[in-house]
Amino acid sequence: MNKTKTHLIQGEKPFKVVTFGALALIVSFFIIILIALAAYTDTRSLLTVIASKEILFAVRLTLFTATVATFLAMIVAIPAAYAISHGNFFGKDIIDTILDVPIVLSPVAIGAALLVFFNTSVGSAVETGLMRFVFEVPGIILAQFTVVIALAIRLLKSTFDGIDQRYEQVGRTLGYSKSQVFLRVTLPLAKNGIIAAGVLTWARAVGEFGATVTLAGATKMKTETLPVAIFLNLATADVEKAVAVIFILVAVASTALIVLRKVTDRRRFE
Amino acid sequence: MISMKDLSVKIGSFSLSEINLHISEGEYFVIVGPTGAGKTIILESIAGLQRFKKGEIWIGGKDVTSLPPERRQIGYVPQDYALFPFLNVRDNITFGLRRLGDKKDHNKERVESLAQILGIHHLLERSVRKLSGGEKQRVAIARALAISPKVLLLDEPMGSLDVRTAKYLRLELKRYHDELGITTIHVTHNLIEAEEMAERMAVLNMGRIEQIGTPDEVFFYPQGPFVADFIGTPNILDCDYCNDLGHGLMEAVCGGVPIILPHYEAPVRKLALLPRDVYVTTRTPPGPGINRFKGTVTEIVPFSSLMKLTIKVGEISLLAELPQDIFEEMDIKVGHEVHLILKLRSLRVH
Repeated sequence: MNKTKTHLIQGEKPFKVVTFGALALIVSFFIIILIALAAYTDTRSLLTVIASKEILFAVRLTLFTATVATFLAMIVAIPAAYAISHGNFFGKDIIDTILDVPIVLSPVAIGAALLVFFNTSVGSAVETGLMRFVFEVPGIILAQFTVVIALAIRLLKSTFDGIDQRYEQVGRTLGYSKSQVFLRVTLPLAKNGIIAAGVLTWARAVGEFGATVTLAGATKMKTETLPVAIFLNLATADVEKAVAVIFILVAVASTALIVLRKVTDRRRFE
Repeated sequence: MISMKDLSVKIGSFSLSEINLHISEGEYFVIVGPTGAGKTIILESIAGLQRFKKGEIWIGGKDVTSLPPERRQIGYVPQDYALFPFLNVRDNITFGLRRLGDKKDHNKERVESLAQILGIHHLLERSVRKLSGGEKQRVAIARALAISPKVLLLDEPMGSLDVRTAKYLRLELKRYHDELGITTIHVTHNLIEAEEMAERMAVLNMGRIEQIGTPDEVFFYPQGPFVADFIGTPNILDCDYCNDLGHGLMEAVCGGVPIILPHYEAPVRKLALLPRDVYVTTRTPPGPGINRFKGTVTEIVPFSSLMKLTIKVGEISLLAELPQDIFEEMDIKVGHEVHLILKLRSLRVH
């Protein structure tokens, strides 16, 4: 808020009361929930729970799967987003819309669709011949990947959209081929956007539950990611453990957002 | 050196049709025209950045029509320069040299000498984000020249500079050109810039070349109404004879009207004067009577917020422009006698 006193013009006050009232309401809502969670447990038991074998396993599994899923998603999303941003081809709008479907679709539906796929002849051939996904760790990665890839493409597309083609054109005239220009001009220009997209994608993968639980199941110490751990511990009325995991997820999310702020606040190019 | 043969480009509803241009080795060629005339598209076509449906482009006796930009050896300076923000000045200039795979020492030498010529040596380690408009322009030119291109393409190089910087850099640009002798194609919407820089120029309008010639040819012999209008429909006076007046002055008599000019070596055959540089007044102006005449108004035509007056002086008719409000204040009618003052500094001589 502005520190200098400004005179309110007549009629502005009710509007300010409504908008700032809504803001205050939602902020206090979040704070109250966090305080309630904190009141439920004390630091000591919280640390004991976090150090438990099960939770440590869930932390490791989540960090591993989310990182692999994000890495794979970025590898596919960077060229795909570039193609849809700079390319001019027939059916571009349709493809653009299809890519948005996973963003608005319920993750459970995505998980269920994947599960059904692995029950078809092609799917079971993949299962037996290549790698087991259903109720296995690769299933978690696949579920996370499917949910986050569209988000990654969407974020990266807006990054590439913001890059003036003149840079690439100059790069070409300076003797570089199209792919060399992509590596030496476009990617450096997109660096901040790529980091930001990676962080958001990763945070989304860490929190993924619906698709994961449907495809990979919720088996303790096997396919138990952090969100799955919350679900399992609530189901067995082990509320303290669930609260501990919630705090871990809040910490992960906050860290990701702080990193994001740092990256996007860095002076933008031009 | 560079030839465009029947170049035709179509982008949406805009089309560039049958452009034919031949630019000689070492020439400074300017393409001038209003916004949307298709000037940038011609540059992009030469650089290989624009696909076209018909025509050929030859550079240095070689057909480059189907070559990608990276194999054309062209120095391209786009509007707003597009310096790479993730590299400092030195690395921007070195960017193209790295690709050529020359020895590091040799690259360094080349960058240093270019920076010296362009007067940006002290900026080499700076971030490009901290440069002024004029500095950016020179860095962009250095980056383009580093790869020893066969031709330098400048797209509105003064477009984002303030008037004074632009004036200074026009002189500088001429100096680099004289020093390096590189064939240059310069695109601008600014007629004054075009006349000042060009050895020859092409006037482009709506995707068509209206006229190609030296600035003098375009100014004194405009082909067609568009060119005449674009250069400001100057009064062009044929001179009968000249007298040397001494003191660095001469008198050119055009249609019986004696006009005083600074002394020129060559005989003056034609004079050109823009209508906005002919001052009209109903009262006798004070001061010495140089380049002041009496005339009779023969025609008055309103033109947006201006009034265009045709005034007969001796045997010649001069076109003058007046702002509407001043015109009304003076209450001039056809047949009235008025005083004219010709702005000496704006006279062009051929």
